[in-house]
Amino acid sequence: MSEAGNKPNMPDWLTPEVVEHLRLVSYNYQVRAFGEELARVNTLPLDQRRRYIADMVDHATSKGVRFEKPALGVTP
Amino acid sequence: MPLTYAELERFYEGLVSKARQCGVACAITSGMACVAFGVAAATRDCDLLCAPDAAGDFFSLLFDTPLRGRLPSYRGNLTAPLDSRWLRGGWTSHFVWSVPEGEAFLDVFGIAPRGSSPWQSESRGPYAGLHTVAEMKRTDRDKDWPYTTALGLKLLEQGDSRGWLHLFNYEALSETSKKLACPSEMVSLRPVLSLLPEGGDRLEIALKAEIEFWHRLDQLRLKVYERAVRPYMLAVRGDPLAAATAPLPEQHQARLRHAELLLPANPLRQYGIERLIAEAKAKTAQMLPASALDWLPDVSACFKFFAE
Repeated sequence: MSEAGNKPNMPDWLTPEVVEHLRLVSYNYQVRAFGEELARVNTLPLDQRRRYIADMVDHATSKGVRFEKPALGVTP
Repeated sequence: MPLTYAELERFYEGLVSKARQCGVACAITSGMACVAFGVAAATRDCDLLCAPDAAGDFFSLLFDTPLRGRLPSYRGNLTAPLDSRWLRGGWTSHFVWSVPEGEAFLDVFGIAPRGSSPWQSESRGPYAGLHTVAEMKRTDRDKDWPYTTALGLKLLEQGDSRGWLHLFNYEALSETSKKLACPSEMVSLRPVLSLLPEGGDRLEIALKAEIEFWHRLDQLRLKVYERAVRPYMLAVRGDPLAAATAPLPEQHQARLRHAELLLPANPLRQYGIERLIAEAKAKTAQMLPASALDWLPDVSACFKFFAE
């Protein structure tokens, strides 16, 4: 799968300047919301990002962290 | 050797691929989709959207999909049978593959909670579309909300104006609007966006009201299902054929029998979607100034698939 999936025809408003601005807003927001490390990880190519998350999750699992949600019969 | 994230990811993606080859429309959503979209989330379980009409075919496929030689079983006494009637009504079927080295969890649902458009039309590879995943993140859990805004920004970066519908963080929204005008069709879908030119406290409070409203809406929705599932849960709990130790087809038949008698297929529709929305508004009004409620969106479109 490509990063952007099936790219539609790009609209006129999506100029290079707007893309650059949105990337900056996105990065700054992710730093505030998720922290600098995950914000950095999210700029990596997909395969490296997946590898990072895999290492993080596997390490957490090996330390006894549980990730599953309770089976409630309905999803939040 | 432990069950690793990479193995689980391959397993779930393989399951989607196999299902689609069999004509089953399905897509991975939630945390695993977020990783693919550049908004990393730590998760190991898989949330899967499956077309309700294909529930039977998907169930047959699960019965034929071992992980390290083990077949899955239903998880928990609250789990509805994987059947089109209950999937269509918003229930989730939970499965687990238990192997000596760990467990793999799969949650299957047919209707994307809060989804305003058919998820089937926007899949990206094995994943549901960004817009669907972002709508699904408007839950009653605080931890989901940063993903909503982050996915909204990703949508805009990809040229999809619907990203405006998902920006709930005041700073991110204000910063975005400095270089990008919000289209009028997005304002009509989400009235709070009309406050963007003035910004300030009014916008910030209106955003808080929106988030509170979605929280309340989700809490109330979950309570409807929680009440509806109780008689079924008690019956399943007392039935050894429905237990995880029974073969999956027997578990399924037992759950079907109990569900047909005790589990309402569409409790939300029975309860009344307009009633649910009105109650969520009333709860929100208890927390925030009444003027902030003027900017709440019409969310009935996010429940239209329950109403059909």
